[in-house]
Amino acid sequence: MRSAPILIRPLALAGLAVAAALLSNFLASPARRLGWAGSGVPLSPSVSPQTLPREPSLVEPAVPEPRFDRPISPSRTTSPKVAPSAIPAARQEPETPAFSPIREISTEEAWQAFQSGTPFLDARRSADFLEGHIAGAWSTPVWESDLDDRLLSFKAARRPGSEDPIVIYCTGGDCRDSHLLAEKLLGEGYFHLLLFHDGFPAWVAQGHPVEKGRP
Amino acid sequence: MSPRPQHWLLHPKLSVAVRIALGLVFIMAALPKIADPPGFAKAIWAYQLVPANMLNPMALVLPWLELFCGLALCFGVWIRAAASWITLLLLAFSLALSINLARHNPVDCGCFGATAHLTDSERLTDMRWSLLRDVALLLLAAQIFLATAPRKN
Repeated sequence: MRSAPILIRPLALAGLAVAAALLSNFLASPARRLGWAGSGVPLSPSVSPQTLPREPSLVEPAVPEPRFDRPISPSRTTSPKVAPSAIPAARQEPETPAFSPIREISTEEAWQAFQSGTPFLDARRSADFLEGHIAGAWSTPVWESDLDDRLLSFKAARRPGSEDPIVIYCTGGDCRDSHLLAEKLLGEGYFHLLLFHDGFPAWVAQGHPVEKGRP
Repeated sequence: MSPRPQHWLLHPKLSVAVRIALGLVFIMAALPKIADPPGFAKAIWAYQLVPANMLNPMALVLPWLELFCGLALCFGVWIRAAASWITLLLLAFSLALSINLARHNPVDCGCFGATAHLTDSERLTDMRWSLLRDVALLLLAAQIFLATAPRKN
């Protein structure tokens, strides 16, 4: 038995790992499960951690200084899925449309939206949502397998029109989960998506209403 | 006869200690990731190296591979097969960290599950330490290969 082919045992280890992964994923709760075929959100390069701006002002339509070294600039308003290569072309367009389907908003604007009854979607993990979330927000964790079901129940309950505003947030800073969810909703035909840039920590810091547990 | 360094480096007791240490590191790294595959998928995504359709299969299988290789090393079965995978994984991790360090793209290592919220400079520092740790673990794997090399008579 000492001269077993050299690849048999490494392959057996890999096979064991695949079998265990299949079984554990089958038995996992929706919050811990992953779809083998792919993610529920479009993981396009335009939403990658690298290409998105880290400064809040860069996506604001009223940004004072144009920064074209980043893929997402005010000119992003023309097309939501601007690829890095599309920036030189976008630079030549002098006018930007007044309305952007995905727009970042400040804490103050988020508070105004909250007071006017705009629905809030929480893109963070469901465990974070349970620990605390913006009052009345819907849990729509982008990395969890039941995202589509959760979005369906949100749509069934609120029946948002394609032009109705929806606020999306995560943990602020360089968190990309809200951007991923916005890209998904844009693909589903929603054109008034407000990204609450500073997210839940800023909301808590301002002392605005929060809830714990399920909505 | 004075003992040569080779004698100490390949001493059976040292070999067992190295095997168990490397095995335990991989078991400890695997468990949080097995417990939370979506979190690990997000961590891999941040590296921007894996195609989107490969992300989830990788996040599901890789932690189990780490666990089985770690267990094999600890229990002393299929040692060279497990050490081969571990070497391959460590090389891949080092490459992934190096590429993102070269890009100045701060990522959470994801090595031992999710980490606390860090600033970009803290992340870059962490990435350098992780790279150094991977190199040290590669040395342990090399010791295992040398110590278990088939003897030529």
